[in-house]
Amino acid sequence: MERSRARTVSVVAAAETSLLGTYGHLAVFMWLLGLAMLAPAARLPLTVAFCGLIAAVVYPGALRHILRLRYLIWMFLLIAPAVFFLGERDAVFAGVAYSTEGLQMAGQMAMRFVVTLVAIQGFTSVVEVTALAGMLERFGLRGLGFSLGVALNLLPGIQQSSYHAWHALRMRGGLRRQWWRGLQLLVMTIVTNALKHAEDVALAAEMRAFCPEKSRPMPVRRGRLDWAPAVLGLASLLFLIVI
Amino acid sequence: MKLTTRELVMLAVFGVLWGIVEISLGTVLKSLNIPFSGVVLGGIGLSIVMIGRVFVPRRGASLFIGVIAMLLKLFSLGGVVIGPMIGIFSEALIVELVLSLGGQPRRTLFMLAGALGVLWSLVQPFVTGPLIFGVSLVETWGNMINQGSSALGLDSGAVLVIVIVLIAIRLFIGAAAGWFSWDVGHELQKRLGRPSQPLQQSS
Repeated sequence: MERSRARTVSVVAAAETSLLGTYGHLAVFMWLLGLAMLAPAARLPLTVAFCGLIAAVVYPGALRHILRLRYLIWMFLLIAPAVFFLGERDAVFAGVAYSTEGLQMAGQMAMRFVVTLVAIQGFTSVVEVTALAGMLERFGLRGLGFSLGVALNLLPGIQQSSYHAWHALRMRGGLRRQWWRGLQLLVMTIVTNALKHAEDVALAAEMRAFCPEKSRPMPVRRGRLDWAPAVLGLASLLFLIVI
Repeated sequence: MKLTTRELVMLAVFGVLWGIVEISLGTVLKSLNIPFSGVVLGGIGLSIVMIGRVFVPRRGASLFIGVIAMLLKLFSLGGVVIGPMIGIFSEALIVELVLSLGGQPRRTLFMLAGALGVLWSLVQPFVTGPLIFGVSLVETWGNMINQGSSALGLDSGAVLVIVIVLIAIRLFIGAAAGWFSWDVGHELQKRLGRPSQPLQQSS
């Protein structure tokens, strides 16, 4: 008991000494998204470079992630139509006609896409899901932390039982003739299995006298410089809008 | 919004179910760029939310399920998650608004909530495209018409027909999801020996 308390105290102390907490990282996330959304086309390259600088300082790992093939394919699928379908096809490259206006638009889309991706990757890599739930609890969704904890706990079990139910139904030809009824029975099986797990969790929580109204919200990590990204973000966004 | 332990656990279960659909099926459908994947995902997700609403008939329950699914999707491995996250939250919000403002739950209300929720998948690119990815409204419109014409096998000049068919498909699938979840929710309650409850006000 003493050991676990000491561990909790050390974890909290470590969190309090870090520079950015959950609110700080949320501010960085909103800052990056705001810059990507509000930057006018002429200033976009400079803004994206600035976003890259912020990301390199706050989330150095996130920049590496965006070079994965999966993300590059996603980006290509997003921007490719603009090159061929936006504006007049007034230029030719390797025998393929394309629109220069579309190419410019595609470049802007790609830059915004990269910033959005870095912001999400960075945010999700440093902020834990329970911390986010704790923050949302403070904004009125009471009990979300508990529910999310239960959800994360139930996820693998329910996923497994859902696959089993689907395979059982498919192997018995349940979706051939009366497919609508088959679908209903599939959903009923999956929900019943899930609710059975839930019943156990609810009973265990009640046995431990857990009460959502009396429980404290999940802890939110605070950093010493949480205010900094909010202030800098607001200032840079105002600068972008006014100038 | 005050919920009991049992209600919170039940909302978690339905949030997990929607999350599983988005994480597994959603990632596959979006990666393969299959047409109408948003409609299919919306239909399945909203069915789960509305069945959850039958079990926890409280204001805010649908939104709560949506937030759990959204958070699970945010922290899952997959492609770009901001679009699906906005989709999940918006669809849950639409269902919440329709079911909360519509009074006592009934089949027609569920069908309306489902139809409007799935219709959001058509509207969403016009919101997220310009705001997040910098795609112009004209280009979004063009993409929608091109995708619609290739998926439906119609000439891209028949803009009005394409738009009407795209809207009709979404309304039909959403209404079917509402019908389905009303039936399944009530049958499940009967089989599990739980009495149907009227809509409760959250204190």
